[in-house]
Amino acid sequence: MAFLLRRIAFYIAAFLVAATFNFLLPRLLPGDPVETMFAQSGTALPPESMAALRATFGFIDQPLPLQYARYLASVFTWDLGLSIKFHPLTVNEVLWRALPWTLLLVLTSSLLAFSVGSLAGVAAAWRRGGRFDSFGAPAALMLQAVPPLVTSLVALYVFAIEFKILPTGFAWGAELDPGWTLAFMASVAQHAILPVATLALAQIGGYLITMRNSMINLLGEDYIVLGTAKGLGDRRLRFAYAGLNALLPAMTSFAMSLGAVFGGSLITEIVFNYPGLGYTLFQGIAARDYPLIQGQLLIMTLAMLAANFIADLLTVALDPRLRG
Amino acid sequence: MLKTLLRNRKAAFGATLVALFLGLAIAAPLLAPYAPNQRAARPHEQPSSEHVLGSTRMGRDVLSQTIHGGRTSLLVGFAAGLIVTVIGVGIGVTAGYFGGRVDEALNLLTNISLVIPNLPLMLVLAAFLGQTSPFVIAAIIGLTSWGWGARVVRAQTLSLRQRDYVLAAELLGEPAWRIILVELIPNLISIIGFNFIGSVLYAVITEATLEFLGLGDPMALSWGTMLYHAQTTSALRVGAWWEVVAPSLALALFGSGLSLVNFGIDEIANPRLRSLRVPKKLRAAALHGLATR
Repeated sequence: MAFLLRRIAFYIAAFLVAATFNFLLPRLLPGDPVETMFAQSGTALPPESMAALRATFGFIDQPLPLQYARYLASVFTWDLGLSIKFHPLTVNEVLWRALPWTLLLVLTSSLLAFSVGSLAGVAAAWRRGGRFDSFGAPAALMLQAVPPLVTSLVALYVFAIEFKILPTGFAWGAELDPGWTLAFMASVAQHAILPVATLALAQIGGYLITMRNSMINLLGEDYIVLGTAKGLGDRRLRFAYAGLNALLPAMTSFAMSLGAVFGGSLITEIVFNYPGLGYTLFQGIAARDYPLIQGQLLIMTLAMLAANFIADLLTVALDPRLRG
Repeated sequence: MLKTLLRNRKAAFGATLVALFLGLAIAAPLLAPYAPNQRAARPHEQPSSEHVLGSTRMGRDVLSQTIHGGRTSLLVGFAAGLIVTVIGVGIGVTAGYFGGRVDEALNLLTNISLVIPNLPLMLVLAAFLGQTSPFVIAAIIGLTSWGWGARVVRAQTLSLRQRDYVLAAELLGEPAWRIILVELIPNLISIIGFNFIGSVLYAVITEATLEFLGLGDPMALSWGTMLYHAQTTSALRVGAWWEVVAPSLALALFGSGLSLVNFGIDEIANPRLRSLRVPKKLRAAALHGLATR
């Protein structure tokens, strides 16, 4: 319990840092911060919306500490202000509308890559030096070095433009109405194939290598030798003895790499015009919609912290030494 | 040390790839058939003997642009990699060596930088800084991405800290900076090298990503801005695949080269990870039992 409480305190501190960063950045740059933040709004926003926006971001006639308190109050009541590009929607509404699509891509691809990569890593470590290990492991590594931007562009061209077997973009067919119908869900699945596959491809190598390396180190341990000497079956040694223990570092890297996957997802979504956070943000960046750009940092940080917290819970479940 | 590295086949192959791109970048004006921004062809010309990788929407030679673009991409990659490594090693060694309060504070800082997602943070920074030049991008990447390096270096320093020779140096009254520079850093060199190469790889990819998103300076020429222009002129959708393939291939090959070098370093530093070529008979025996280790 103490472990989890410490983690929660740490997460609150980390979130506070992200919020402080948002608060300080426009104020540290040369020029009038209000000008910088809302320069693009022009005549798009009515005066009362402008006043609300200023209040949200703490641009009030008070000394800096009070401005900071005002801003933190907005953030912790989850008031992220109005979007300039998508006026009259609030940043919250814009981001919550887009988040499920990003989560769909990130979670499906991560789980896919984690299971395939870890199993392949176990196989490579078990027969290290074998054919799969000598070619599979470096190949996976090279694959990981290919930016998601490149894999997405190539996949888009080959499968969607040249051979036309998969849709070029968007999350569902234009002729369908969103709803929980079979046709709609099938269309969503079909549109997700390319983005999910390109995202998963970029991650498999990392899991393969992490699992392989920690597994190889474990296979040298005495308890494995003892297990072999006792005549335990291969399968049991491989999965229950070595695999399970090797899973702990792999899980930590799973949670840590989610941030990178979110990043990768931003890119993939833009290439495939997929209506998630990345694509929304891309439009926001083009319009220099600062409230939206700042809001996505907070929501992405929150998603990272949630993923780390889940990894903490799983670690406690898997590692009896942390239960106390 | 370099010899051991090059005897590893993966590392040698990777190093060759990296050297090839470095050579291309350095000798770009001599090797590129056209000036990078010259209108040398009609728009979107297919690859031919005259224009090996075709031309862009603006009629520029894609091969020449790719060769010249590598200069910026590699320079940003190595510069940002250097910043990441210096900050990471500085924080990691300081935390690991001094321990106590210093360690607690620096470790907290490191962990916070690890849970705040990098790309969204960089997007905020780059958006506020306006059309960012390649060097500002290098600085942004360098200042936001040192967390992993610091964590790894700290862990290794903590274990080196307990060795007898460090204790001996302390008893001799050596100052802390000398112990760090002379006793600790040389023993961390493989980790530092690994970290540096990984950071360069990350920086090259991230620079391309930021520029592709339109946060770079569109007048600068790099693999990232090439992809940005290809995207804004819908090169893929009109079938001009070469405009996208050339910078993509460059990014992918250069990245693969770096990661193979790192794979090699990892194998040399940790011999267990090596995939030894064992004669078939022996391997069969080994797989059976005795040497599951």
